[in-house]
Amino acid sequence: MLKRLHLAGQWVFLHVEGLFNLAFGEKLNPLYYLGPIAYYLMWVVVASGLYLYAFFKTGVQGAHASVEYLTVQQWYLGGVMRSLHRYGADAVALTMLLHLTRHWCFDRYRGFRWFSWVSGLALLWLVYAAGINGYMLPWDRLSQFVVVATAEWFDRLPMFGGELVRNFIFPENVNDRLFSLLTFVHIGVSLAVLAVLWVHTQRVPQAKTLPPRPIAVTLTIALLALSLAKPAVSQGEANLAAAVTTIGFDWFYLPVYALLYRWGPGEVWGLVGGLTLVLALLPWLPPRRRKGPAEGYHMLVRPDNRIVAVREGETILDAGLREGIAFPYECRNGGCGQCKATLAYGTVDYGAYQPDMLTAQERGAGKLLLCSATPLGDLEIDYQPTAVPGGIRARVWTATVDALDLLAPDVMRVMLRLEGGERIEFYPGQYLNVLLEDGEKRSFSFATAPHVNDRIELHIRRIPGGRFTTQLFERTKVGDRLRFEGPLGSFFLREDSDKPIIFVAGSTGFAPVKSMLEYAFHRGLARRMILYWGVRRPEDLYLALLPRQWAREHANFSFVPVLSDPRPEDHWQERTGLVHDAILADFPDLSGYQVYACGSVEMVEATHPAFTAHGLRQDDCFSDAFRLAARVRSHAPELVRLGGTA
Amino acid sequence: MKRAPRLVAQVALYVPLMALLGYLSTRPQFSVIAPDEALLRLSFIHAAHRAHACRSRSAAELAKLPPNMRAPLDCPRARVPLRVELQLDDRVVLEREVTAAGLRHDGEATVYFRTAVPAGRHLIAVRMGDRPGGGFNYTRTATLDLAAGSALVIDFDPAKGGFVFRS
Ligand code: HEM
Ligand code: FES
Repeated sequence: MLKRLHLAGQWVFLHVEGLFNLAFGEKLNPLYYLGPIAYYLMWVVVASGLYLYAFFKTGVQGAHASVEYLTVQQWYLGGVMRSLHRYGADAVALTMLLHLTRHWCFDRYRGFRWFSWVSGLALLWLVYAAGINGYMLPWDRLSQFVVVATAEWFDRLPMFGGELVRNFIFPENVNDRLFSLLTFVHIGVSLAVLAVLWVHTQRVPQAKTLPPRPIAVTLTIALLALSLAKPAVSQGEANLAAAVTTIGFDWFYLPVYALLYRWGPGEVWGLVGGLTLVLALLPWLPPRRRKGPAEGYHMLVRPDNRIVAVREGETILDAGLREGIAFPYECRNGGCGQCKATLAYGTVDYGAYQPDMLTAQERGAGKLLLCSATPLGDLEIDYQPTAVPGGIRARVWTATVDALDLLAPDVMRVMLRLEGGERIEFYPGQYLNVLLEDGEKRSFSFATAPHVNDRIELHIRRIPGGRFTTQLFERTKVGDRLRFEGPLGSFFLREDSDKPIIFVAGSTGFAPVKSMLEYAFHRGLARRMILYWGVRRPEDLYLALLPRQWAREHANFSFVPVLSDPRPEDHWQERTGLVHDAILADFPDLSGYQVYACGSVEMVEATHPAFTAHGLRQDDCFSDAFRLAARVRSHAPELVRLGGTA
Repeated sequence: MKRAPRLVAQVALYVPLMALLGYLSTRPQFSVIAPDEALLRLSFIHAAHRAHACRSRSAAELAKLPPNMRAPLDCPRARVPLRVELQLDDRVVLEREVTAAGLRHDGEATVYFRTAVPAGRHLIAVRMGDRPGGGFNYTRTATLDLAAGSALVIDFDPAKGGFVFRS
């Protein structure tokens, strides 16, 4: 039943939003910014209210006259402010209710969202308290009705004992102190709204608290136009000696008061109290549609290569933003398609979204909308970062093969030159995706430092049976063209620390290390740097002369090759065994070091726990393979392609 | 969509929205009472008499009490419920027993009643009993012309001899 209501609500919202999309475009559709718009309008209300307050006389004699002065004599400014104040407040109520309904329809109020929901409920009460209280101030016929009705209503509560109303039905009891009190409450409650608003959005990852500027501007203009077309006016001065008969009524704020005069105060308390209670409990009430374990799921996010926990019921976008992943997004409501990404592994609930933004074909091809989808298991998400640290945008490039050198029996150095003499900017440690004709991609790290930006060097290891590498090793010639996208990834040399760095390279994991080291030497970094390069046989150290030469040229650098599988005929005199064992033998305490690990998942998986057990801090461990591969229940070989797998 | 049609579409969506905002902020009007009615309210606060008269304690009873509580008179604090009746022409529109406030019902009783009355000439009678044993010991009757939209408040002020009609 509830589920059907939810679905019906979603249907309505999606269709109306679709209609608005036609007019406003997906990115500036006000319906996608209901919360932020309510927030913005609150500021409009506060600002116009301050102006009114400057002219408002808090007394029986002055209240009505001072508001009349603003409305009539000063219509061009005071009157406009008054109208903005009223219509702004009405619009706050309207957008707030829509915002609430939308979150409810899309079932976004359970689980961890209870906090926003319950604080939202507090906002609902406060906004209504401020709005209703506001109608008491101009001291017109409506004020008279609202004041008396409020007293009658509150008199039903035991603590007032029925005596409140006597303050408002005998003219001699209404005095200037009452107006000071009403004004004080009005301002106090409005400030409380702002304070609770801050709390309300606290736990929403990167909550937008203002709509995009064009929306704010249009909305303000529309409210101004309304204010001029139909200025807010008073309805005759209050006269306690006469009855209030027929009055203009604000149906955004006062419906409960209409009810109060049809039912009794007790029934209205029952309704309002009961409704509040039900709403407050809603996040915990059935039907609990838990989609998975209470602790949620994990997702591997590429190109960041990070594992992020997704809370039960959380969208992939929110989980990523919470963890600081630079997912692209705009509307957060399934309406703009900005957050489209690829589901590389796992299953999701796609959620509700505008069908145009994710076609059936796209969905079939593994696309999803991050802001709408929630996981149904552990996931692997591939997205296209629009902004990498430092703001270098990824794009597609065309390059020609400039040179091909076999550095080892199974490692090819590929030099690329960008077409049209273009230059690419990137961070040392980042990678690119070679785009294959069938739409597949293969990831390789830049092996050159960023200051060498007229050519790109890649180290590619041949994977037996791998389609791309087989072709590369057997058929690709100098002069062939190739398309790639880049730069990608947030794995790069961090310069915000002075700790010595231990680089761990496995096989072609040497490529990003080479980029980072050449960059460090170029920049003259004085930090101590040690490279451990772990391979099986001596010939796998395909560029061993280079680090040996660096070690001679730079006093702060040393190089330790480690062979896991040397043979007697290799006459290997240096370190043997597993690379991380060698590191731990040399550095039993890693707490003062940073580690950059580049290589296969297996290597990172083996090294990471051993390192943390020896004091390496999580923040000091960087890897181009993801950190916690074991968490993703998947088949490892396809997962990590960095540093050169097929 | 092109720019111009889009602008038209935006206006076409904003205008009704703003119209709705402007409309519902004052319309439809609400009638607290009908235009041809007057408002009649009864509001007062009054402490009724105690339910039981004071009684002298016998010497034996006094001896049983702790020395600091040996008051010669035993006065139970509970008050009788207030009885109120309001008659409009030949109809009794309010008939109520109001218990005194407080856990021991020793406080004042608060009465509030509101009703709309057709404008015109009416006989209004209000009665109140605040003593044990029933009956009304305060009454006031008047025939009044109530204009449409006027308000009549009936208050109770013992200093002025009982009920006061104020309009
Ligand atoms: C003055 C009134 C309110 C304002 C200005 C406001 C504003 C906001 C804003 C800016 C956000 C973050 C962005 C978004 O999701 O739209 C938000 C989130 C939210 N609000 Fe409100 N809100 C108000 C009232 C309410 C009310 C009455 C409720 C429900 C009882 C509510 C429930 C929520 C929920 C459930 C979220 C989402 C939390 C999440 O997705 O993690 N809000 N609100
Ligand atoms: S952010 Fe707009 S569709 Fe997801």
